[in-house]
Amino acid sequence: MAYSDKVVEHYNNPRNVGSLPKEDPNVGTGLVGAPECGDVMKLQMKINPDTRVIEEAKFKTFGCGSAIASSSLATEWVKGKTVDEALAIKNTDIVRELALPPVKIHCSVLAEDAIKAAIGDWKKKHNIEVPASEKPSH
Amino acid sequence: MTAPAKTSALPADYFCVFGLPRKLWIEMNALEQKFLQLSWKLHPDNFVNASEEERELSLKRSSELNDAYRTLKDPVARVEYLLAIEGERKEGEKKQQAPPELLEEVFELNESMDELREAKAAGLELDGMKERLHAAETNFGQKLAEVDADMRQTAKDWDNAVDAGAEEASRKQIMARLNDHLNRRSYIRNLVLNVAKELEEA
Repeated sequence: MAYSDKVVEHYNNPRNVGSLPKEDPNVGTGLVGAPECGDVMKLQMKINPDTRVIEEAKFKTFGCGSAIASSSLATEWVKGKTVDEALAIKNTDIVRELALPPVKIHCSVLAEDAIKAAIGDWKKKHNIEVPASEKPSH
Repeated sequence: MTAPAKTSALPADYFCVFGLPRKLWIEMNALEQKFLQLSWKLHPDNFVNASEEERELSLKRSSELNDAYRTLKDPVARVEYLLAIEGERKEGEKKQQAPPELLEEVFELNESMDELREAKAAGLELDGMKERLHAAETNFGQKLAEVDADMRQTAKDWDNAVDAGAEEASRKQIMARLNDHLNRRSYIRNLVLNVAKELEEA
């Protein structure tokens, strides 16, 4: 099966690959995985505690092209958004943008989970309660 | 000419195909013998005079028999299959969760693989590189052997629980452990394959 042009584009030119200091109180880290296919995805965000705007986002993913493209897109999308706006991103938005086939939908779920996990980690550092709806639920 | 053979309805699951209980220890010789015997019974030659319906059913059973044999022959596929029919590992329905410690470990192992890959791409001292790759290969290979040993042990626990007619709760607990082993195994298997690929190209 062929990947869509957008997946190939993100795969060849992944945005925001790298990492942020994990111990920084303004950095939230989300590490998620899909054991079935052996994918691991790390997504990190630097969040301004006053404005709650995501100022920086980095990722590193070990997995297939779709998983890399999904996390690359996720970092692009969350940058400049507020925490609440970023939490509103749904895996279906990623599926649509990247034209993922049904067998690769779990990659987009992983990216959504990674966003939630990263923000959850940041909230935990700031003693903000994380409602159940914002926990990686899949 | 043989008389048209009769084919009954498809058995409920792969264990039933071979008349086996839902246990994880299987005697390989007996399985193979049974497979050959059943295959022979379903051979198209036996269905020359059968109705089209019978022929189709025998073909279907034959392909099911092959799937059943392939699945039960492989100890890992066997565990996956058992959990699937017990409703403990539904593909697509619920994503498998991995414990955070495992993710951390796998991420770090992948990162060290990545470093080796990058150093190789940059043409850094290839001799030391090969050694490091071999060390990684040994390390991942050991981890795979460990998880396989854990799996065998838990498989024994499962068989004992079946024999003892253990209650649902303890069966579920054993299946959860089997599921964890499978998840861990699939990560480590990937690492083993990746390092083998790098060594091939080194």
